[in-house]
Amino acid sequence: MSAVFARLNMLMFIAWRNVWRNPIRSVLTVSALAGGVIMLILYYSLMAGISQQMIRFATEISTGRIQIQRQAFIQDQDLYATIPWQYLTQLEQQNPSLQFAPRLYAAALASHQESSTGVQIMAVDSQRERPVTKLLTHVRQGQMNLEQGIEQDGMTYAPVVLGYQLARNMGVTLGDELVLVSQAADGSIGNDLFRVAGILKPINPTFDRMGVLMSIESYKALMYLETGIHEIIVNFEIEPLQTSNSEDWLSTIQQQLMTQITAQEQAQPLDKLGGKVQVRNWREVSPSLSQMLALSHSMMLMTGVVVMSLASLGMLNTMLMAVHERRQEFAILRAIGMKRRWLLLMVSLESLFLALISAVMGSLLGTWMSLRFEHQGIDFSASMPDGYDWAGMVFEPVMHGLLLPEHIYQSCLMMLVISMLASLFPAWLSTRHRPAESMR
Amino acid sequence: MSLLKLQNVSKVYQQGQIQVQALKDIQLEVQEGEFLALVGPSGSGKTTLLNIIGGLDDSSTGSVILNNIELTCLKESELSDFRLFQLGFIFQAYNLVPVLSALENVELVTLLQGRPAKECRERAEHYLNLVGLKAMKDRRPSALSGGQQQRVAVARALAAEPRLVLADEPTANLDSENATALLDIMHRLSHEEKTTFIFSTHDQRVMERAERIVSLRDGQIYQDQVKGE
Repeated sequence: MSAVFARLNMLMFIAWRNVWRNPIRSVLTVSALAGGVIMLILYYSLMAGISQQMIRFATEISTGRIQIQRQAFIQDQDLYATIPWQYLTQLEQQNPSLQFAPRLYAAALASHQESSTGVQIMAVDSQRERPVTKLLTHVRQGQMNLEQGIEQDGMTYAPVVLGYQLARNMGVTLGDELVLVSQAADGSIGNDLFRVAGILKPINPTFDRMGVLMSIESYKALMYLETGIHEIIVNFEIEPLQTSNSEDWLSTIQQQLMTQITAQEQAQPLDKLGGKVQVRNWREVSPSLSQMLALSHSMMLMTGVVVMSLASLGMLNTMLMAVHERRQEFAILRAIGMKRRWLLLMVSLESLFLALISAVMGSLLGTWMSLRFEHQGIDFSASMPDGYDWAGMVFEPVMHGLLLPEHIYQSCLMMLVISMLASLFPAWLSTRHRPAESMR
Repeated sequence: MSLLKLQNVSKVYQQGQIQVQALKDIQLEVQEGEFLALVGPSGSGKTTLLNIIGGLDDSSTGSVILNNIELTCLKESELSDFRLFQLGFIFQAYNLVPVLSALENVELVTLLQGRPAKECRERAEHYLNLVGLKAMKDRRPSALSGGQQQRVAVARALAAEPRLVLADEPTANLDSENATALLDIMHRLSHEEKTTFIFSTHDQRVMERAERIVSLRDGQIYQDQVKGE
């Protein structure tokens, strides 16, 4: 066994010396491979940062991690498909570690001076909403105290907060009057006069364009809907990407809530028209976000393969040159008794050393750059103060990366595998020359 | 006792459309411990014959039996083992691994043989001492003269304890003084180590030191002369 180690040691020793035989060529090869690793780590960290931001936006600002709704509300936004208030109270008692926020929705027509447009009313209970989502802190202008009326001209107006696009389209500013008209739950025409108390930051393109936020009391006064709520938002404290078992946890809580609601449905049956109560996680609520995240994972893999394949061309070129230049040397080694597999191993070890040096350099530099990127971010606020939306997703104006350990080892592993595959051909070629021909 | 036996060995190369007869019906028997020179003009088939004896090239016809082993029956891997344990090689040029020192070059073969590292180091130092290069053991080939490099090659060939050392024009790139010194070393070690040497040359000084001279012309042996007979 010691003889085998001595032989292997010798092959490694020769391979290491050969790496530095042409230092400029080796440095160039290492630069190309390390550059590929740096790019991949930065790219992975950027994609993870964007993914985390998308999930955070979805779960912390509007959607929550879990939503509870009636089937008819999910399908048709049925005004009458409500969940009784008792369900919410009981869920809160059964799950003290979870936070619940009730919501009510309605379609309405909003008018201000000469301008009118269709809007989507969302009513929230500020006290319950604050621990669940950041919706009420996501204000760009004004204030978010939905329960406190606005005194103006000797009258008290109920406040509303608008999506920024809606406010812009209607030419509404803080303190302006807004008339909302809708068909109330009792079939009458519900209408009321409101004052604009605040304007939200971007949330999602639909809400930005149509959203009107009000208190549940104001909603009840407008819509005469007392039977229950349309939606319960559930949230709890976990980091969506950094906790490896976050998906398991989410699924467990979802299952637990479903069991409790099924028991409640048996104890307090609901009307059949509204359908059963559904408990959905954020992936089911926002399938486009979920698909986009899955797509981004595939894209990351494909980009990794493309980047590393291009970088590995450097390795292929270096090793082909090295093998070509050393034909006679290989012939001598074969002549003195070196077996083909030892020669293959020796040339492969040279590639491995180059790849390992590249992995170390690339991961150190890539980590350093990614950490800077994670802390400082790339600031687009000068050109896009509200961030931007793409395919229904809103992105913040300052883009932060998120470096995870797997970004480093996945990038290095991908580079090692692809570059070693690229070096197989030159290594194999080194063993195919016939010694007598190479020495002629 | 016969160490090497060549029977009806022929070699034909295909060069494009033309067939070149490099060797024709070679019959040769070499006894253990001989110091034999293959002589002849360029193109007479000396290198081809050495390559066939060393298993680096195939013969077109005939058989090569070395130490009772028929080389033409060996597989590639067996041939490598055969060269590693039975043969030593000294070439005209490109003899040493440039990234290794003189000592490491000599060690290389013994390490490949699977000997313990300590033994390899001791043997390498011993053989470098025999060729008078112990003081230069840490130098790389680029820091050695042509004659010194060939002496390292001799040390490497002998460190493996081969039955037969094949040397293809070992003095071709050396000046007169270095060539003579190298031959003296080879000749001395041939006797001390009881190793058979076959070397090709067209150098008159080399021929003078050989104990047996086999002359080749147009791929055929036309004279086989043992000195003193």
